[in-house]
Amino acid sequence: MTVSLPIELPSSYDLSTLPDADVATLAKEGREAAFRELVHRYERPVFSLIFRMVRDRETAEDLAQDTFVRVLNHIDRYRPEFKFSSWLFKIANNLTIDHLRKRQLDTISIEGSPHAATTAEAEATSVDVRSQGESPLEEIESRELGSAIERAIAHLRPEYRSCILLRHVEGRSYEEIAATLDLPLGTVKTYIHRARHELRDALAHLRT
Amino acid sequence: MDRHLLPEEIDQLLDGDVGFGTAPLKLHVRACAECRAELDQARALVRQLEHLPHLTPSAVFADRVLQQVQVFVPWHVAALDTLRGWMPRTRTARAFAWTGFGSAAVVLTAVSLWLLTRLDAVIFAIGMAVGRVRAAVGRGIGDVVATLFGSTAVHAFQTSGTVGLWVALTVLLLFAAITARAMRAVVAGPRRR
Repeated sequence: MTVSLPIELPSSYDLSTLPDADVATLAKEGREAAFRELVHRYERPVFSLIFRMVRDRETAEDLAQDTFVRVLNHIDRYRPEFKFSSWLFKIANNLTIDHLRKRQLDTISIEGSPHAATTAEAEATSVDVRSQGESPLEEIESRELGSAIERAIAHLRPEYRSCILLRHVEGRSYEEIAATLDLPLGTVKTYIHRARHELRDALAHLRT
Repeated sequence: MDRHLLPEEIDQLLDGDVGFGTAPLKLHVRACAECRAELDQARALVRQLEHLPHLTPSAVFADRVLQQVQVFVPWHVAALDTLRGWMPRTRTARAFAWTGFGSAAVVLTAVSLWLLTRLDAVIFAIGMAVGRVRAAVGRGIGDVVATLFGSTAVHAFQTSGTVGLWVALTVLLLFAAITARAMRAVVAGPRRR
């Protein structure tokens, strides 16, 4: 008769039921399954946040990859009293903002730069989110990114974008966002307020 | 309230804030169609944002990440894993193993306690054993020195005591190091050419 060991490691099934802090502790102990579980849990939220910030699949994948590699290679620095996801989003946001600053992509949207003076300039600076050979999933994503609300989000300042996405897509509290983005609570509230206001204005034409 | 709601107040209601401050705001919204419409628009926007889907990276994303992650297993975890590997798989075998360990522990404890009651005899026996080991080591070193340097060196070694031993050891180590270095130089010489 075979039975499981009393001190046996949690199986991959068990890992999915554990809280983040416990999975991170197992990762600290060098459990590869725990690393995989953390990636599995957060690949979509992190990728979505970055994709909506940079609006380019390849760049978003690279930045999301950098985020995970950086976090998982320094997992020994993680302190369980803090939320793992907040740490992850903080790194993701910092890398993305750095990238946008370097490339000055914060002025680029799928409709072209908002600073463009003429239609031709706007077309020249626009990003075609549908590349050749897109998979059906990517086509859906392109359509989704092309929806009115996505376009409106794309026009927001990167700081407003991070805040509004963390608040309403990821469902984070104001306090968590402040901790994640290293911003004062009042600034986060202001950013979210202004972002909502700009989004309402941008979508006003749909209501009329 | 004789005015329309301020944008911050709309936000307060939107975030579901509770407290004394929100009661008059709610009352006003019920009475004022303009503010109600404003709040409804804001709520509709939030609903739209909350329904934005999570996008999926490529199927190989996790593998690409994990290829770049250095998985480090701390020594204590590795030691525990090794112990776990030694643990018998079946319940019967584990019962046998624990019985064996338990019996050994009981026997060792009993022996230790018995030895403690005869501490003077134990100390005498340990002293005798140490003396014999020391004599054997001395004889061994003497033989080596006699073989390498002759009986005169052994006599000098015996008369100089501990200081002589250290001097001899230092000279021996220096000699070994110089020899090793010289041999490495000889071996590396043809390769350089």
